[in-house]
Amino acid sequence: MRIRPPVPIGHCLIGLLALCVLPFHASAGPKDDTLVVALSKPLTTVDRLYSIQREGLILSRLTDDGLFFVDPDTLEFVPLAASSYEWVSDTELDVTVRDDVVFHDGSSLTAEDVVYTFEWVINEDSDTSRGPVIRSWLESVEKLAPGKVRFNLKLPYPMALRDMAISIPLRKQGTYDEAGDETDEQPLNGIGPYKVTAFSAGREIVLERFEDYYQASPKANPAIENMVFRVIPDQGTQQAELLSGGIDIMMDVPPDVADNVSHLPGVKRLEGNDIRIGYITLDAAGYVDPDSPFTKLKVRKAINHAINREEITKYLMRGSAEVVHFACHPRQFGCNADGPRYPYSPEKAKQLLAEAGYPDGFSFKLWAYREKIIAEAVVSNLKAIGLDVDLRFVKLNVFSKVRNSKDMQAFFASYGSGGTADASASTGVHFAANSARNYSGDEALADTVIAAEQTIDADQRKRLYRQALNRIAEQAYWAPMFSYSQNFLLTPELEFSVPKDGVPRFWQASWRQ
Amino acid sequence: MMTTGQALGDANIATVETPSELEEGGLGLSPTMAALKRARKHHGLKIGFGILLVMAVFALFAPWLAPHDPYMQNLSLRMLPPVWNEGGNWEYLLGTDHLGRDYLSRLIHGARISMTIGLGAASIGAVIGVTLGLIAGYFGGWIDQAVNFLVTCQLAVPSLLLIMALVFVIGQSVTVVIFVIGATHWVFYLVVTRSATLRLRELDFVAAANAMGCSKFQIAVREVLPNLVNQIMVIFTLEVAVAILNEATLSFLGLGIPSPLPSWGLMIAEGKTAMFFQPWLVILPGIALFILVIAINLLGDGVRDVTVTNRRN
Amino acid sequence: MLNYVLRRGFMALLVALTVSFGTFALFHFATDPAQTIAGEDAPQEMVDEIREQYGFDRPVLVQYGDWLGGVLQGDFGRSYFWKQQVVELIQEHAKVTILLALSALMVTVVIALPLGISAALKPNSWVDRLALSTAVSAQAIPNFWLGLMFIILFAVTFPIFPVSGDATWKHYVLPSLVLGASSVPAVMRLTRTGLLDVLSSDYIRTARAKGFMGYRLILQQAMRNALLPIVSVLAVQLGHKLGGSVVTESVFSMNGLGRLAVESIFNSDIPTVQSLILIFVLTFVLLTLAADLINAWLDPRIRMG
Repeated sequence: MRIRPPVPIGHCLIGLLALCVLPFHASAGPKDDTLVVALSKPLTTVDRLYSIQREGLILSRLTDDGLFFVDPDTLEFVPLAASSYEWVSDTELDVTVRDDVVFHDGSSLTAEDVVYTFEWVINEDSDTSRGPVIRSWLESVEKLAPGKVRFNLKLPYPMALRDMAISIPLRKQGTYDEAGDETDEQPLNGIGPYKVTAFSAGREIVLERFEDYYQASPKANPAIENMVFRVIPDQGTQQAELLSGGIDIMMDVPPDVADNVSHLPGVKRLEGNDIRIGYITLDAAGYVDPDSPFTKLKVRKAINHAINREEITKYLMRGSAEVVHFACHPRQFGCNADGPRYPYSPEKAKQLLAEAGYPDGFSFKLWAYREKIIAEAVVSNLKAIGLDVDLRFVKLNVFSKVRNSKDMQAFFASYGSGGTADASASTGVHFAANSARNYSGDEALADTVIAAEQTIDADQRKRLYRQALNRIAEQAYWAPMFSYSQNFLLTPELEFSVPKDGVPRFWQASWRQ
Repeated sequence: MMTTGQALGDANIATVETPSELEEGGLGLSPTMAALKRARKHHGLKIGFGILLVMAVFALFAPWLAPHDPYMQNLSLRMLPPVWNEGGNWEYLLGTDHLGRDYLSRLIHGARISMTIGLGAASIGAVIGVTLGLIAGYFGGWIDQAVNFLVTCQLAVPSLLLIMALVFVIGQSVTVVIFVIGATHWVFYLVVTRSATLRLRELDFVAAANAMGCSKFQIAVREVLPNLVNQIMVIFTLEVAVAILNEATLSFLGLGIPSPLPSWGLMIAEGKTAMFFQPWLVILPGIALFILVIAINLLGDGVRDVTVTNRRN
Repeated sequence: MLNYVLRRGFMALLVALTVSFGTFALFHFATDPAQTIAGEDAPQEMVDEIREQYGFDRPVLVQYGDWLGGVLQGDFGRSYFWKQQVVELIQEHAKVTILLALSALMVTVVIALPLGISAALKPNSWVDRLALSTAVSAQAIPNFWLGLMFIILFAVTFPIFPVSGDATWKHYVLPSLVLGASSVPAVMRLTRTGLLDVLSSDYIRTARAKGFMGYRLILQQAMRNALLPIVSVLAVQLGHKLGGSVVTESVFSMNGLGRLAVESIFNSDIPTVQSLILIFVLTFVLLTLAADLINAWLDPRIRMG
């Protein structure tokens, strides 16, 4: 159905609203060479090692560098602060560190700094957010010679470069010595193309281009000098600020808002794919209740048949969003399953429920923390086949707590894989044996998934992932639904390209000439 | 700490009348008949009652009056404007919401929710308040002091925050909301019940002391209880309105009635992101709330006016 | 009088402590603070460690005592969500709420007092009826909805006031109107009743009958007597504004304590919620104490005894 344009009154309203805001924020845009980005959620820390938020990832790409990074176009992992690397053996990785990299405080990057950073992360007392993951494969790191380090792995792990690229920004030796993890009070000392000049949690973060950033880096010489990340939780305010010039870009714009606002003059809309997928996880293992309906395959299949993926994707997600049938994003390496798909059919769903012994349905809680509209639409689909669903919509930290204690019968979640175009980042994360997100209880599956991460043979990996994904589909551990489309609203003055993996790279932005 | 006088002053309750004054007001009619006579002439009361009657009809017969199922999701028809706007549809007179549900039907069913919560919460408050008032008034002494302390605590608490915290912790549902709002709005009932109980106790002693005092006692009961009942009725209507507004606020903030129930406050919250482009989503439920609450207030004020004649004017 | 002050003061403190402990216990029995601190991906061992480290496994009363001890020294604990001291959080956000509450009170006074006075001077006239019907209507409008209507309206007809944020004085106009409007009915009624009382008192009536004083003088005298109790009521209303700030700040996206409280509830950020409730209760209790003292000072019976 054609989407009707908003009534003209909308134009007047938002336009005049913008006038209200006009006198109060005029420091954005090419005149000040300041890019102002709206953040919908506050950042509690700028230190990537201690942040679990996606906003932290975006910011960290500007302020930090790791030994490796994700090439924005090929989505491969290439050296960054490293000048070269070599797999001496399956479990030994030698990396040569560049000699021209400088920290924001002026000191040079040395091999000792690299060793310090990794030793800090694998240290159990450091409490970093990625510590457990890194600890699972990294045994130790040592300096071999000036500018050369060796990583000793516990086992062959093809994703070592990925983990280093995405999760480990390099820190100067001694950064955490005094205050433990309380680095929020001190300015962040990174090696990225921008340095933090001001940080007020909950208000804004101010960045300035770092003039001594090493020229050889692919991120070198960013066009824009200043950046401000301003926390504006309210959608309406973000819209008004964009139109009045208070901010230059809005990220993660809900499709409805993007549709409404993009018709107004003075706004450019960009839309593109995102590696993020949305899905429902079912408690197949019966953690909450060993006799729960979700332990029965037919019930899980019924749920898969009950959800109208096509309608949800077409009308609620819109843009480049696509229906997804397997537990990975179609563009990820290894996402090549050919297992069963579950077409929308409420009749079939009801039939399966009856066969499983629930002709009158049953009641359960569906948990969610984002895209409430989607969750509500799913609830409605499920109610239509006779299930009594109670939607528990909560904040992320509350959601995580309940999920990690294996206390959810069903939940709607999405996963962006950190932008990684590899199935290990999605399938691996969710079906590994010790993963808090794994509700399948399927040990053989966990073994398959881990095996795919422990070999470097690409064909073998593809085979293993196909096996795993087919199994997940056959067993209907999930109800995968759709991939996301990302919407950006920006001022026409800004040149910005939509990132392929959903993680904006602001160092590539520039002003229109 | 709010004094009893202030609490009473806020509710604008008057003092007790003597039996002779009651009879005077109605020329020999019983108090009830006299009150009804006055009611027929009170404009505010009639208007309020009329509107409430209509609302009650909507609430009771919602499934038959509403043109559609308020929960029926139809994604291809989402965000339709009301029929008088361009793109409107006679099938969906007031348009549809973000999930394609008919707005008019949701508004009608919303009346049910508002009134249920209002009546429920006010009743629970009444039960708690009257009980505590009886206990405090009857036993006196340290029990009375303890109850008074409780009152002070209740008044000092930022009730909206406390209610939100409770709902967050216990879980969102109609029952929880009713109980939590009711459990934090019992003070006015307690105040009037307590003073009535105290008065009864005084008279009790006097009557016991006077062998011939049965009649005095009976008169006192005839005098105190009806007035108490009147006062409680007025407070009840006040609290129903307060409960309805509280529920709307809670649902708006996200800690009240859970979706997909068509609470008016929740509907406003759901429409908020599209407020500038589809303002009816926010305007219509607010108008509904306003009409319902004003009707209740008019009724309450009217009841107070006609049942308590010795009011300061 | 001193006796009275001490007694009331002690009560006030007791009330604040009781409410504060109640909320503390509530949250601790219902949520798991260790998990909240540990964060999303934390493994179970880390959560258990944190529980031990912070002492969340001790009895509630002990934990509360600990917290209270800290409070008395100015340490309100550390926010689970913001990773900074609660005291700092409160300091950052308090200014907005205080400004909002005071300006809302001003709005209430500016609207309610004149209305109440005119209504009292001409009982049952059209002014009186207007005042009363304004009161009745204002009580029926949901606070948050009025805020939203203002936001929509002022974007079209009078685009001179910003509709969100708290950067300049102009940002406070609309929120103060909304927050202040909610108290107008009560204050107006009280003004009207209070003034009517005084005007119909024997002393004034006698003076009028004997033609002693001019109209203006009568008014001044009456006002003086009627307004002092109203001042004490305003103190109580100021306390209510704190509660009202929760909604107003949320609607207008202002960075005040009210909005912080709402966010903290959603975040299960117990230290912040607890501290804020304590602050709200304490403030309200102190304001009502002030109101009581004003009233007591006016009433010679209490003053002397």
